[in-house]
Amino acid sequence: MRQLGLWVARVGVGFVRACVVVVVSMLVPAVWAAAVALGIWWGAGNPWSWVAPLVLVCVGTLAASRPVCRMVRFLVARWTATAIPAGYRQAGPVTRMSTGYWWNGFSYERTRRDALLDQKWRVRWTDPANWRDVRFTGIVPLTAGVVATVPPVGVAAAVLGFGRPGVAARLVGALGLVVAVASAPYAWRLVEPVAVRFLRPSPAMVLADRVEELTGQRADATVAQAAEIRRIERDLHDGAQARLVALGLSLATAEKLMETDPERAKALMRDARVGATASLAELRELIRGISPPVLNERGLVDAVRALALDIALDVAVSADGRLTLDPPIESAVYFGIAELLTNAVRHAHASRARVCLARDETDLVVEVEDDGRGGAEEQAGGGLAGLRRRLAVFDGTLEITSPPGGPTRVRMALPCESL
Amino acid sequence: MRIVVAEDLYLLRDGMVRLIEAYGHQVVATATTGPETLDALRTWRPDVSVIDVRMPPDQSDEGLRAALAARSEMPGLPVLILSQHVEQLYARELLADGSGGVGYLLKESVFDADQFIGALERVAGGGTAMDPAVIAKLLSTSSPNRGLERLTEREYSVLALMAEGLSNHAIARRLYLSDSAISKYTTAMFGKLGISDDDDTNRRVRAVLTYLNKS
Repeated sequence: MRQLGLWVARVGVGFVRACVVVVVSMLVPAVWAAAVALGIWWGAGNPWSWVAPLVLVCVGTLAASRPVCRMVRFLVARWTATAIPAGYRQAGPVTRMSTGYWWNGFSYERTRRDALLDQKWRVRWTDPANWRDVRFTGIVPLTAGVVATVPPVGVAAAVLGFGRPGVAARLVGALGLVVAVASAPYAWRLVEPVAVRFLRPSPAMVLADRVEELTGQRADATVAQAAEIRRIERDLHDGAQARLVALGLSLATAEKLMETDPERAKALMRDARVGATASLAELRELIRGISPPVLNERGLVDAVRALALDIALDVAVSADGRLTLDPPIESAVYFGIAELLTNAVRHAHASRARVCLARDETDLVVEVEDDGRGGAEEQAGGGLAGLRRRLAVFDGTLEITSPPGGPTRVRMALPCESL
Repeated sequence: MRIVVAEDLYLLRDGMVRLIEAYGHQVVATATTGPETLDALRTWRPDVSVIDVRMPPDQSDEGLRAALAARSEMPGLPVLILSQHVEQLYARELLADGSGGVGYLLKESVFDADQFIGALERVAGGGTAMDPAVIAKLLSTSSPNRGLERLTEREYSVLALMAEGLSNHAIARRLYLSDSAISKYTTAMFGKLGISDDDDTNRRVRAVLTYLNKS
């Protein structure tokens, strides 16, 4: 009995889904049919009667293709949990120039609205995803659409057949009903493979996106590197370099005073020594910020252990084995962990933290968890956004869960060939 | 004292040798790489050695590893580690065997020659000489352990200075107290930590090790 109920439910759901697929996939053919009907209605005698239907077909197909594809993507995701990336090209920002005109990346427009409209159509026209959508709207009625019409057609045959007298008509009706019921649970399913095959971004589009992503990352990395070098230069210039000049001065004066005023000379020498100690301390801090010595001497795991000992927080570090990584990745992960632990102290007011370094088949996975008050949010230009950008250079990802009240959990994953 | 100096940079090595010899000690051997250091320590069994952490061939922590290896072969072999940076992690590794005769200082500690030679002599005598930065970091990350939480604030600061390697007299000067007050504090402290030993150096070392290994 229960099985029967389930079967009835499957047939019912399948029938509804088949009808939805038919409606969605036949939208564009319906426009075409309307165009043809219009041409016929105007009559063959008029030599210009084909113009209006042609315009209707072109505009209708173009305008309807994207909504149809969106609907198909939504339905497939809803029914089969298969997510198909859309891969539409994103429009760039529209900015106002000093002349008062709006620049949208292609042309200048007098108003913002015009600029946006112009940009929308230009982006759409040059977007390969658009032409893929148009192709798909042509393919889907002939494949998934045709198959999905089987149950509704069967039901229509049943209604018509039973509505008329005669054994032959009844036979056709019964046959239609059987076909409709039997095909209902399966008829809509063709939409998934068709959508996956024809609606996903083509390799060229994936590649183009990747190139764009890498270009952005390269620009980010270059800017970050230049800023870092400038910071180091400034620190050396204002710090160690200036102190060494002062040191030389003290020593020169001391040399001069050695015979006439040995006491002052001695005091100057002492100052010089203090200055040397201070500049060494400064240099040490600077070096720690560029490349922590423990990282060079011992590798990532021990460097994280040393960091855990230095920070004002009870940190438990666990790692599986000795991870051998490329130095740039090691450095990025180290500074990532350092930033997260600093956040745990400074913002989350945590008292304990746990750092776990592990590797799975392809990735280095680092988890940092604290018992602080949570509520960490990624803000543009903030530390976490910067961390995400630095990891992205290595195709790494960052996942943050930080409900208000804590705990904060952060997971960094970096693909590493060298593991 | 017979001393081994292990340092790969010629200028520093030369300067160190001259400084040590100026104080009337004898540098029996110098080493410039990790393996050479280990060989020198095995051959000479020096009264104390001055070892740089980072040395060839890998420019990683060869010096430290050589010192640890030598101390595991010859327990209590006095070593003074000099480095451009101090790490608690390394300090713990050095102190882990619990047998004194260990120093770990920044390279610039040689600026004060008297203090540096004093530290060297203390380490040779089985004591400790730890960089104040290591001590300060340990102070900031305290967790209750082994009787340390029962110490008063004053006893705690005496212990911290002891860990730096200061004598009772020097501690008294630093805290503006009399020598007798310091010895009263240290006796109370040893009692609380459960250290009963007649030899004062030994007691000091053990108190310091308790302190440094506490978390």
